[in-house]
Amino acid sequence: MRCVFTLVFIFCAVLVGFSQEKNEVERRIKSDEVHDNAKEWLKETYKKRGKTKWYYQTDGNKEVFEAKLKHNKQLHSIEFSLDGQVQNIEILIGEDELDPKVLESILKFLDTTYTKSSISKLQIQYTGDEDDLEDVIDEQEFEDVIVKYEMEFYGKNDKDDELWEALFDEHGELIQKRIINLKATDNLDY
Amino acid sequence: MKYCLSILFTLSSVVSLAQNERFVFGFFPEAALSYKLSEDYTTTHKIESQHGLYDTQYLNQEFEYAHQLTDVQTFLGRRLSPFLKADIGYQYRLQEGKNTQRTIQQISILQRVSYYRLGHRVRVDQTFYKDAPLLFRARYRLKGQLPLQGQSLDVGETYLTISNELIYMIQRSEDDIENRFAVGLGFYMDDKNKFEVGFDYRTDDYLVENRFRHRLWFKIGYYKSL
Repeated sequence: MRCVFTLVFIFCAVLVGFSQEKNEVERRIKSDEVHDNAKEWLKETYKKRGKTKWYYQTDGNKEVFEAKLKHNKQLHSIEFSLDGQVQNIEILIGEDELDPKVLESILKFLDTTYTKSSISKLQIQYTGDEDDLEDVIDEQEFEDVIVKYEMEFYGKNDKDDELWEALFDEHGELIQKRIINLKATDNLDY
Repeated sequence: MKYCLSILFTLSSVVSLAQNERFVFGFFPEAALSYKLSEDYTTTHKIESQHGLYDTQYLNQEFEYAHQLTDVQTFLGRRLSPFLKADIGYQYRLQEGKNTQRTIQQISILQRVSYYRLGHRVRVDQTFYKDAPLLFRARYRLKGQLPLQGQSLDVGETYLTISNELIYMIQRSEDDIENRFAVGLGFYMDDKNKFEVGFDYRTDDYLVENRFRHRLWFKIGYYKSL
């Protein structure tokens, strides 16, 4: 019995001793912590918006604020630099909301690369300066903005059987893809 | 604070419910160590132990300590897809002169829903006794993991876990049902080190007359992978 308690004690001691590694971090923050420029741009651009949730994100180098809100029944994520300059807007969309030609190109990529695939998340991404991004939202004007598509999907072929994240250009041509490493499931499995 | 209050509330309801039936309360530490054998194969070793502090049947109502059992388990798992894993396992149970052996087979499915994730586990096991017939159990567990800071679980953050497992068991011609409901708070130190603390509320002997039993365990678990 003493041995079991010793084990428990060792685990607790190990816990305390762990230092945190540098990693991608995202955490919820209060709107007070966000630069006023970001909040003003948001107020000006999204006149009818739902509740805004603010997040701080860093990958160890780049630090950004991200606002998540609902607009016209769609989920928008708006990224800002720490000084409140808008960087890009990502909107969660369904396959049926995609330009048919872009969808055709993306599906062709999936069909030719994988024997089995399914799309789990699709976002349209607009990048540009603050006035142009404002026009995208309040005037549906897409001048001088770069359009890309970010997609999360499952793809299996003879070589790989993974979850992927891919970026496509405005025509649906693949720019880059990477494997998404799912977090360990040991606490869900045993 | 809100979580502590709800846990306290659940605890007090359980205790008042259990006044006329058998009620056991105790401490339940567990620890798991997992490591990869190859790209697709993983081994997991787990030790878990039940320590009773209070039992209405044995009248050790003055918080008398009693070691109940310690399980040592080893699993061999194969990844079938990023979301699907199959395991076979073996357990040796140390229980005061009633040691048993168990074989286990399980399928686990990971489901990602919005910003939380669900783990489905379908398990069957067979327990071998020295002087009793084989016990066969079929189990299904659903465990949810919900980040408490932001929408993704990052290093240094905490998460909430809620799980329920339903177990059907049959030994020769006698069968029974057990239910296990658990809530816990998890500490995500990094992907290789997780610590969970919470309560595991088990009820069994549903199909046996006058023997309904409640067990409430204060659980701490450590999940380590290499």
